[in-house]
Amino acid sequence: MAETKTHGRHQFTLPLLAIVALILIFIFKPYAVIYGVQRGSLYALIAMPLALTLGIVGILNLAHGDFLTLGAYIAYWIFNSTGLDPLLSIFAVAPLLFVVGAGLYKITVSKVLRAPLLNQLLLTFGIAMILEEVINLIWTSRPRNVYVNYASASASIGGFRFGTYEFSYLLAAVGVLVLLRLFLKHTRLGKAAFAVGQNPKGAKIVGINVEMIYLLIFSISVGIVGIAAGLTLPRMSIFPLFGSPFTLKSFCLAAMAGLGNLTGILWSGLALGIGEALVQSIEGYSGWSDIVFFGVLIAVITIRSYRGSYV
Amino acid sequence: MKKFLAITLVLALVVLGVAAKVKPIKLGAVLPLGDITGRQAANAMKLAVKEINAAGGVLGRPLELIIVDDEMNPSKGAAAIDKLATIDKVDFFIGGMSSGVHLAQIPILKKYQKITVWIGAASHLCEKALAGADWYFHLHPWDYQQGAGYAIGWKQILEKYPQVKFDRVFLAYEEGAFGTASYKAYLAMLEQAKQGEGPYVGLVKEFKGESFKSAAFGGGDYRAVLRLAKEWNPDAFIWAGYDADALPMMAQAKEIGFAPPIFIGAPPGWPADFGKSPLSEGVVLYGMWAPSLNKVSPVAEHFYNAYVKEFGEEPATYFAPLGYTNVYFLVEGIKKAGTLEKEALIKALEQVEYESPLGETLKIAPSAVIKHQGFTTQKILQWQNGKQEVIWPFEVQTAEFIYPFPKWEGR
Repeated sequence: MAETKTHGRHQFTLPLLAIVALILIFIFKPYAVIYGVQRGSLYALIAMPLALTLGIVGILNLAHGDFLTLGAYIAYWIFNSTGLDPLLSIFAVAPLLFVVGAGLYKITVSKVLRAPLLNQLLLTFGIAMILEEVINLIWTSRPRNVYVNYASASASIGGFRFGTYEFSYLLAAVGVLVLLRLFLKHTRLGKAAFAVGQNPKGAKIVGINVEMIYLLIFSISVGIVGIAAGLTLPRMSIFPLFGSPFTLKSFCLAAMAGLGNLTGILWSGLALGIGEALVQSIEGYSGWSDIVFFGVLIAVITIRSYRGSYV
Repeated sequence: MKKFLAITLVLALVVLGVAAKVKPIKLGAVLPLGDITGRQAANAMKLAVKEINAAGGVLGRPLELIIVDDEMNPSKGAAAIDKLATIDKVDFFIGGMSSGVHLAQIPILKKYQKITVWIGAASHLCEKALAGADWYFHLHPWDYQQGAGYAIGWKQILEKYPQVKFDRVFLAYEEGAFGTASYKAYLAMLEQAKQGEGPYVGLVKEFKGESFKSAAFGGGDYRAVLRLAKEWNPDAFIWAGYDADALPMMAQAKEIGFAPPIFIGAPPGWPADFGKSPLSEGVVLYGMWAPSLNKVSPVAEHFYNAYVKEFGEEPATYFAPLGYTNVYFLVEGIKKAGTLEKEALIKALEQVEYESPLGETLKIAPSAVIKHQGFTTQKILQWQNGKQEVIWPFEVQTAEFIYPFPKWEGR
């Protein structure tokens, strides 16, 4: 009974501390909160599909960020060929990447699912290298941009001026999270995917087509990356290595949130985004933001391991 | 029979003589072909060789260009020199881009001591490593020469345009080696100025620097550093990063309403679409060349048109005209010397005055360490109507300086 009370107290202490910290940061560094929420949402949006693949298919896709690059270049190509707005091009890019994901899964990934972890990593690493080189050959290493004036739109609240476009990352992250949760919890296919993620052997015994679920989830994950690609294009320069740093950040968020915890990824993304923006806002210490990012990650994983071993 | 043998011998000698005469002069170039700078420099070298061969070659011999890709990798760059010297048996080394690659090449170049005309590697560390190498000719300005050149340029601009202010300068620099080196170079020059020495005396009164993470390395959020600069209210804001930072930097400056009177971008190259964006208008940049030089230099115009005709694309980086200059400068020296003999050619190259497509005449003079330095300054340019216009040197100015930097409204 006493243990339950202590556990209950802990359950409220952490969120309370987080809220107090957030309020304090907002009072002293309001921009850090805004920028942190915006960038953190982008990290979460990109990390969610990686976590989905990792949680259900059980494969760490090291080419994840390179699919983002590919999607951004496709959107760029569409923009230059047809003049279609990068945001509208999402409706073409996401299905296209879904198909690319399905093709790659059938040709390569499905062959190494039972192979040792190292082989799986090497395979996705190889895919990443090929994607980067192909992009380099087609579009060269010279950065490309799409300028649309709404991407640098801003709003002012009493002399407090901030950009508004990057809130679209938050909307997209929340939207993808809600849709994924609805899919996994409330559809037959989603429930089957969830079961495969929990216990693939058991799922197979009860008649679930595990191979088909793997194919679907891998393709959906790559397709979701297409949404992030269309959203980031008006805001960032694209070049062959543009997406690769997002692979590491996505893996960090997935590790921080815990396997299969999609909501946790959003919170982790926001926490790390705010932490990063806070450090960047301190004069003379902006170079420390990566250290803080990965420091927070190590701290969270260590605390969780400690708790796990204690329980 | 004797007569037949004599004729055969004479014929053989004639054939051998002709063969010896037409033996090409081999130029061994090392460039990073995966990068636009290296690729376009290589194209421009090919163009120069084609033109020279079409005009009869040099000393009656054709030129042969052998290009090796260093992939921006120091060990591959060093191995390329060995390969060119031992397998291809080239007469001269040309090319060059990255200082890091060049530092690995210098010991190999010293081993062969062939005449070398280099267009890249701006780091003073390379210059130090080349002390005493009289067979080495360096065409690109060294890093400290570039800094000094900007100061000379800005001082002359202040004289011509009295309304321009350059007292408070804010430098946003990417946190890697490139940006940090720029920051340290500025600090050193401003420290010198405080002692009443160096080119920055009387130019910059206050200086502040802050780092950011470049988009090239997974960064790309500049709002914190831009906000800091906005609060500091500089006369000139300079960012030293990569081409991937260019347009997002401008978009984020617009987003927070930061429009300093002078907005300077100092990346090594510009992204393909920068000029198409209205955000580029009024941005000042440093460079050795711009297509607008066609208006004031017939050599620049000839180079530009020939390049576009040959490769179906515009030269987009100053390494293109520099690569072209690389070949022509060496050929002018060979013509002047009338021989490939090393000492005579070094002397001839010291006297060459080549009117280059970079809008200035290339002449060799000693720098702080080496004996044979070519160009010493970069130009101050400005993006106007999607094109880079030359603001300084005034002798090749192609447009009036837009000052102050245009407001963001309506862009």
